[in-house]
Amino acid sequence: MRNLRETKGQMRVIETILAASIILAAVSFVGVLAARPTSPGYEMTDLEKMGYSALHDLDQQGLLASLVYNKGKWSDLRTALKITFPVDVYFNLTIYDLSGSKLNGETEETQIIYGDSATFSDAKNVGSVTYCLSGFATPTGTRYEADYDPVILVLLITRG
Amino acid sequence: MKPKKEKRGQFIIIAVLLAAIMIVSIGAIMHTAVTYYKHEPWEEYSTLIGDIEINTRRLLELSLANYTNSVIGEEDETILDTNIEKWQNDLTKIYPGSGIVLNCLSSSLQTNIRNPRATADFKLYITEIGLSGYEFSLTTSLSLAVTGATNSTSTDYTITAVVISESGNPVPKLNKNNFMINDAPVTSVHPSLDESNDLVYNINYQGTFPAKVEVWDQRGIRAEDSIFSLTP
Repeated sequence: MRNLRETKGQMRVIETILAASIILAAVSFVGVLAARPTSPGYEMTDLEKMGYSALHDLDQQGLLASLVYNKGKWSDLRTALKITFPVDVYFNLTIYDLSGSKLNGETEETQIIYGDSATFSDAKNVGSVTYCLSGFATPTGTRYEADYDPVILVLLITRG
Repeated sequence: MKPKKEKRGQFIIIAVLLAAIMIVSIGAIMHTAVTYYKHEPWEEYSTLIGDIEINTRRLLELSLANYTNSVIGEEDETILDTNIEKWQNDLTKIYPGSGIVLNCLSSSLQTNIRNPRATADFKLYITEIGLSGYEFSLTTSLSLAVTGATNSTSTDYTITAVVISESGNPVPKLNKNNFMINDAPVTSVHPSLDESNDLVYNINYQGTFPAKVEVWDQRGIRAEDSIFSLTP
């Protein structure tokens, strides 16, 4: 009689273990299979990471300063950025001097933009990246002019 | 007797449920811990530090280029210190609220025209990301050594010169626009390898001898050397 009583409730324990296993398996599957919606926080971080990397890489290669400080090469800068980013990424680069005055973007020719202004106003997530340059030596006749002339680059970046 | 028997196994059920809840909770905590490093913008932080380091190096190059391109007698020997001071102040304006402080530990401008050199040591603090006392040293230089001169006629000369940067390696990709001899453009420049397989430039020019050779690298830094006798 005693042995019979001690075996009672075993099925419940087994049921509970099975239920717990099913719950754990379901949670694991949800984690693996669920298509997670893009989190605005992560999306912004990704965009900003991409923007920083692009500007930093161009600067490390010695291209960024030569393109930024030469107004005639701003279209080349646009092309360089366009090549660097994936096709679904739009950007707008504005160059400011230290007093906060815009050096480009006032006219269509001076804009360093991919996408139109509506792309940025309608976008849910727009990343913003700030990068600075200290100056650039430019040839003037037989010599070089090498003055300290810092500029601030503000890159707005979004996905289309 | 029957209700008492049915209550058996309750504590085990509760314990198993608690264990399941704990496993799920630990899983969630582990997930957060693993993805924290993924989503913390480390790349932005390293890019910010990289931006400051690259542009501080460029500041040294600009200062050296400015000094070496100045007209003789009008050189500003304080140009490096002046530019560093401006850069330190402007960095706080460019990145407001990030708590950037760039301390210059030492700086020097070596004004030997054959081998102009700028060096500086810095310590960087960025409060926003908890960076404290990141030290970096920068050196920028250009060295020109004229190693030989020959002539094919009384006015056609070939100068052999070695141009070396701060890395200790020869500077590549220089062309005739990078050289001047006796304040006049040169005819042509041909790179070649010397006996020890180092890059040298053979510079052809028409004019007089002795020769004063000037070179500008891609950063605008100028160096100068002279040769007074032809190589036998």
